Amino acid sequence: MPLIKNNRLVQDTWHIIYDGETLKSTNNLVDLAYWQANRTELITTHSPIGLRIDGNEDIELIATDLQYFSLIAINFPSFTDGRGYSLAHTLREQYDYSHELRAVGDILPDQALYLKRVGFDVLDLPNKESAELALQKLSEFSVFYQKPVA
Amino acid sequence: MYLYNEFDQTLVNERVEQFRDQTKRFLNGDLTEEQFRPLRLMNGLYIQTHAPMLRVNIPYGLLSSKQMRMFAHIAHTYDKGYGHFTTRQNIQFNWPKLEQVPDILADLATVQMHAIQSSGNCIRNITCDPLAGVSADEIEDPRPYCEIIRQWSTLHPEFSYLPRKFKFAVSGSPKDRAATQVHDIGLHVKKDAEGRIGFEVLVGGGLGRTPVIGQVIAPFIAEEDILSYSEAILRTYNLFGRRDNKYKARIKILVRETGLDKFKAQVDAEWETIKNGPLKLTQKEIQRVKAQFAPFPYQTAVSTNAPNDPQNNSGAFRQWLKQNTIQHKQAGYRVVFISLKSPTQAPGDITTEQMNKVADLAEQFSFAKIRTTHDQNLALTDVLENDLFLLWQQLNDAQLATPNIGTITDMICCPGLDFCSLANASSIDIAQGITERFTDNAIDTGNISLKMSGCMNGCGHHSIGEIGILGVDKKGEQWYQLTLGGSDSHQSKLGDRLGKAIAKESVVDAIEDIIHVYKAQRTVNESFTNTLQRVGLQPFKDKVYAAH
Repeated sequence: MPLIKNNRLVQDTWHIIYDGETLKSTNNLVDLAYWQANRTELITTHSPIGLRIDGNEDIELIATDLQYFSLIAINFPSFTDGRGYSLAHTLREQYDYSHELRAVGDILPDQALYLKRVGFDVLDLPNKESAELALQKLSEFSVFYQKPVA
Repeated sequence: MYLYNEFDQTLVNERVEQFRDQTKRFLNGDLTEEQFRPLRLMNGLYIQTHAPMLRVNIPYGLLSSKQMRMFAHIAHTYDKGYGHFTTRQNIQFNWPKLEQVPDILADLATVQMHAIQSSGNCIRNITCDPLAGVSADEIEDPRPYCEIIRQWSTLHPEFSYLPRKFKFAVSGSPKDRAATQVHDIGLHVKKDAEGRIGFEVLVGGGLGRTPVIGQVIAPFIAEEDILSYSEAILRTYNLFGRRDNKYKARIKILVRETGLDKFKAQVDAEWETIKNGPLKLTQKEIQRVKAQFAPFPYQTAVSTNAPNDPQNNSGAFRQWLKQNTIQHKQAGYRVVFISLKSPTQAPGDITTEQMNKVADLAEQFSFAKIRTTHDQNLALTDVLENDLFLLWQQLNDAQLATPNIGTITDMICCPGLDFCSLANASSIDIAQGITERFTDNAIDTGNISLKMSGCMNGCGHHSIGEIGILGVDKKGEQWYQLTLGGSDSHQSKLGDRLGKAIAKESVVDAIEDIIHVYKAQRTVNESFTNTLQRVGLQPFKDKVYAAH
């Protein structure tokens, strides 16, 4: 689905691996259960690796593995579920995670700027229309009371 | 008073345009009702029984005469000529048209006002002591800290989709006049042994369906750490608060289910990682905000002979002076409460003409500033004693001088079934009945806090009223549950149930029975709460349920 990165639409170079699917040679985006079951194989033969987690996932489960991920996608089960914002903040600020942090799932264009401010650098919008609107909405505010997450 | 700089103004202007676009997309069908709902709520807009309701923030209950005139303009232009002040020091307009709301917000922005986060699952208006800055017992004026917290929480990207709403209250005096114990976070200004300013932090208080008194999570957080500590609490809540059931989503439930000690450990662990980061407040920033709350240039050598002036010997004036004004920290001045509980209006309601009048009087007598109170009244906090008679005459002409502050007819009341889509029962007509029954002897009855909610969501704070009335639905009929002995003063307490619910037509009689027992049992000057504690619930039960 349409991705926003650096204030423009970009092509997705990652492959989402659903349950039971075979891995591509590289750039596989796997879920936590798959990662836990196939950790060694993924590290040795399939780097770079992406991990897809829900906003309510216990960060301790991946805290010691962060070095292996070139992408972490945080899923928003509903646009009103704000846990992913705090999870993103925590990954960036406390764990110094510096690779791609992608927001996926139920996201409104109106949320693009807040997502960016808490540390997401890539946003996965549900369709082209909403992605284009989200691009406009990224410049909706020119001032903020809060410091951005680096 | 805090005045916006260009930065603050830009932010509010941009927010107006953002909401204008969201409203347009909703009306065009580009946003679904489900998508628009949280977006409009975060801008104070509810869809109610008859029409949308717009709630406008009055940060920590302080407004200028110019802002009050803007409310009058909005009530006149976009509404039905009146507004309604709430228990959280805000104002609500009950009849705006959805398509006009962006224009209302644009008008508000011209006087540095907005509706940002006046509803929704985000950090709401920061409330405080309505007597901040004028009370002799104050340790430190809480308003600059409220403003600092307001700015930090405004459009906070991380905390705009919390599990549930989140309310701060700040008190600057040992005597809590901000109901801090029934807020998600309550802050009490303290000074440590070296005289440094900080806060005792309470967490997990709240009313609503499960009323809980907040607990102390930290006995002293230094002023420079108050934002980082608050952020640590909010982050812990955002990550771990329940989202499976909206009635269990407030932080009070998280604290209860986690246990205070474990919750505190989680917050402290988070705080440790951020306390020395960018949220640490500098003295420069604290002083920048404090400078905007400097005391007014009070007249000092004032001769205060006015109350003895023969022309001021009107009995009605003296009754008002005694009931509706209190001491000011500055000799020669008094704090004047403007009662919005007249027999002819619903509690908290005020007309366009009255708003303009209050603005005039604030300019004439009280440095052009007005406060809103938790009891849904207004206050002119800095009035020369010599001006009181003149002020009273004008208030009286505008039906704003009902001498009932603190009495049974000065009740707190939600809009109830007449306006609210959540309510089970009406509040306003019960309030009307109580007012009619007690107007003539309210002062003689003494000070009693009566609070009424039309449903268990508790917007009328019934659980902390000395007399609490809760509307309940019984098979489509409106019934009322009474509680006695609640308190929101220094030691907050939840009221105890009197007994089974009472039919609508008998509620006012039941209240009269309760007052009858109190008057018969009380010793000289004994408060309702003290009498109740001494004699217990039984005499009240006997009287009320024998009759009904």
